[in-house]
Amino acid sequence: MEDYALVMKDVCKDFKVLNRHEGLKGSIQDLFSRDYKTISAVKDVSLNVKRGEIIGYLGPNGAGKSTTIKMMTGVLEPTSGEILVNGKVPYKNRTENCENIGVVFGQRSQLWWSLPLIESFKLLRDIYMVPKNEYNDMIELYKSLVDIEPIINKPVRQMSLGQRTLSDILAAFLHNPAIVFLDEPTIGLDVSMKDKIRSLIKGLNKEKNTTVILTTHDMGDVDALCKRIVIIDKGTKIYDNDIEHLKSYFGSYRTLHMRLADDTWESMLIDEKETDIMDVIMRKQKETKIKDIRLEEISTEEVIKKIYEGDAA
Amino acid sequence: MEHVRGLAFYTKLYRKILVQDLKTKMSYRADFIISTIGMIMTNLSGFVTFLILFRNFPTINGWDYYHMLFLYGFSLVALTPVQCFFDNNWNLRFMVYSGDFIKYCFRPVNVFFYFISEVFDVKGLGQLAFGIGTLVYSWIHIGLPVSFMIILKLIVFLITASLFMIALMNAAAATCFWIKNSGYVMVIMFRFKDFAKYPASIFSGIFKVIFTFVIPIAFVAYYPSLVILDPDNVPLLSLLSPVLGILFFYLSYKFWMLGVRKYDFTGS
Amino acid sequence: MNPRKLLALTRAGIMESLQFRLGTFVTLFANLIYLVLVYYLWKAIYASSGVDVVNGMTFTDTMIYLILATSLFNFLEMFVVWDMSRSIQSGKIILDLLKPMKFRRYTFWSYSGSHVVSFFLTFLPTFVVVMIITHGAIHMGLNLIWFVIATVFALLINFNIEMLVATVCLYTESTWGINIVKETIVLLLSGASIPIAFFPDKLKTVVEYMPFRGVYDIPLTILLQKNGSDTLEGLLPMFLFQLIWIVILTAAGTLFWNYSVKKITVNGG
Ligand SMILES: Nc1ncnc2c1ncn2[C@@H]1O[C@H](COP(=O)(O)OP(=O)(O)OP(=O)(O)O)[C@@H](O)[C@H]1O
Ligand SMILES: [Mg+2]
Repeated sequence: MEDYALVMKDVCKDFKVLNRHEGLKGSIQDLFSRDYKTISAVKDVSLNVKRGEIIGYLGPNGAGKSTTIKMMTGVLEPTSGEILVNGKVPYKNRTENCENIGVVFGQRSQLWWSLPLIESFKLLRDIYMVPKNEYNDMIELYKSLVDIEPIINKPVRQMSLGQRTLSDILAAFLHNPAIVFLDEPTIGLDVSMKDKIRSLIKGLNKEKNTTVILTTHDMGDVDALCKRIVIIDKGTKIYDNDIEHLKSYFGSYRTLHMRLADDTWESMLIDEKETDIMDVIMRKQKETKIKDIRLEEISTEEVIKKIYEGDAA
Repeated sequence: MEHVRGLAFYTKLYRKILVQDLKTKMSYRADFIISTIGMIMTNLSGFVTFLILFRNFPTINGWDYYHMLFLYGFSLVALTPVQCFFDNNWNLRFMVYSGDFIKYCFRPVNVFFYFISEVFDVKGLGQLAFGIGTLVYSWIHIGLPVSFMIILKLIVFLITASLFMIALMNAAAATCFWIKNSGYVMVIMFRFKDFAKYPASIFSGIFKVIFTFVIPIAFVAYYPSLVILDPDNVPLLSLLSPVLGILFFYLSYKFWMLGVRKYDFTGS
Repeated sequence: MNPRKLLALTRAGIMESLQFRLGTFVTLFANLIYLVLVYYLWKAIYASSGVDVVNGMTFTDTMIYLILATSLFNFLEMFVVWDMSRSIQSGKIILDLLKPMKFRRYTFWSYSGSHVVSFFLTFLPTFVVVMIITHGAIHMGLNLIWFVIATVFALLINFNIEMLVATVCLYTESTWGINIVKETIVLLLSGASIPIAFFPDKLKTVVEYMPFRGVYDIPLTILLQKNGSDTLEGLLPMFLFQLIWIVILTAAGTLFWNYSVKKITVNGG
């Protein structure tokens, strides 16, 4: 048990919301109504995460990812089930739990809005009581991983979204937590910033053996960072294993790219067990000239899409 | 590794945040000036209202002009801490509504402290000066004695009074954890405090109880100031007010924290 | 402008206000408590003065005046200044500026729904309570209609003042400061904290010409049938006063807004 950074057992979370009616008349009715309905945002999710792992926590919009993370961080109390983070129940020991975790929530900055980043770091150092030498080492490590010069003296309010996210991630690792939760850290960022952030996370994970739980809709993040993925849909866990395992599940699938006469590329996903690839090419060739062909294994993106669409066995 | 965070830790941290906050405030001079003007205007207009009232009615419930002025000054000073240290409560509603409030829950420090420490508002100091001026002026005209003991008493009971004010605003702000769009609760609570500068003896019956123990505006000036104004027959409630003040503050804090626990953090 | 579009905004506003149901009840409750405070204070004040009529106002008159002024205040309360500065600071204002409608008009109609709701849920109940405790001291006749008209005018004046002040938010982030200046000036000079009848003559003359009187004092004077407002000759100058200020403030507000909006720097990203 002690070896796990995070353990979840049959965790459920329900929200009680008012059943709202439509229209103006409905609104007036709602004023006095007691008609509640229960939303099960998370249903019976169990999960074990080893130290140093990076887990991709995936699922379509509204699947319950953020809700799960809120429970792991001790902000929300599960309706039922058990959670242990670093061997402790997070919502019962919120303060102690917070000492050993780092959190980044997508586009919400947790830093002091009008302070220069370095001042925020210093305050965080005091809050987490980080010894001076450890703090300095961390800053040195940051410097070796990303170029922090352009942002270190900037107030957060004046930063671009990408710089802000970067700052937030740096802040989340500052006190060298055992586990870091990243909820959609690359949302809205450009390609090069995404790259930077991915290599930063990877580097920190490697250097400090930090466990990382990451939710994202960008399979590039998953490819770059995660060996293991967990997928939930409508609150229920539907997959939990290595990403390679999942891909081999779809091992007979290939993506066929064809460059046509007008130089446009056409792509299609083919299950070799059902369709012969040569047949497809030949049929196409009868319609138009094919200039070039590329055959690829199924991409993570497509695997995940198939799973969200309910094709998984 | 686990840390114990005691009073010394919080004091030091608050000081550091405060210094940083003041530094940035200095860079927004225009805002500072506007806020200060705002503060002066409120006080002036409060004072004008007071003068107009006394022009038409020379006494209220047996309280004459200078005694009323004393109460008025007392309530102004008692209001200062809430203005200076607890001003972030005014932002609570927006934070909770938008979901941004969640950021205060990820740190290994007390959520209430962390939230409140974020804003220190200098503009309350102007009000302090105004209040002290009024207090001194009426003090002289009433002919109250000056001694070390009486000043000490004054300070203790001013702190007491401000505890009640803080408690009121805390509780009002915390309603937003249950009531979306509760901005009005704070606005009206802030307006209730205008009645603190009148003697609580104007109330009777059930409302006397309500305004003493439920919405304790009677404690924001009236009861604590009686200790100074009428030292020969101080009511029991005045003597108890420091204890009650701490109790009310504690209850409001608990209520605030309960709100944090109950709140279900909308938004992703 | 298509009136259907505007009414759609009103309707959306009503529905949005009703969403916050607990808030609605609490507001009503808080108003009743405020009413009690005003009642006790002025009862004590009149009791200590020993006379029944001060400056032409009886205790009942003063009570009705102040309570209704407060509930008018809630009814007119718009939070435009707060909302505007929020959306400027978060950068959301861009979205509002992109709406296919003049910004001022869009704002006005968006708030109209919440006015409708607060009229029914705060003003009307307070009015009924006042009727009951004063045993029908308010005359029920044509004055009610004049009162409603004057209130609509008051709403327009108030909206324009709010917008003018909110525009200042484009230049500074000190929302609190700006808002408190507005609030104290409006409350004092409109007679919402002390009836204008009690003001010293000099101040009274100044206040007479200011727009703030058009927000609370005129509707309430008309409702209470004071100052000759029970005759048409008395009424007309009051309405005229309100209308002139609506025109002046609308013109000033539009100019100021159009000028300022070009200068805004938008936060966020
Ligand atoms: N505070 C709340 N009150 C009521 N329902 C909620 C609340 N928070 C979340 N939900 C509901 O719970 C479900 C899961 O939401 P959650 O935010 O966890 O999804 P998510 O997986 O993070 O989605 P996304 O990828 O869009 O961020 C949704 O149906 C959502 O509407
Ligand atoms: Mg989410």
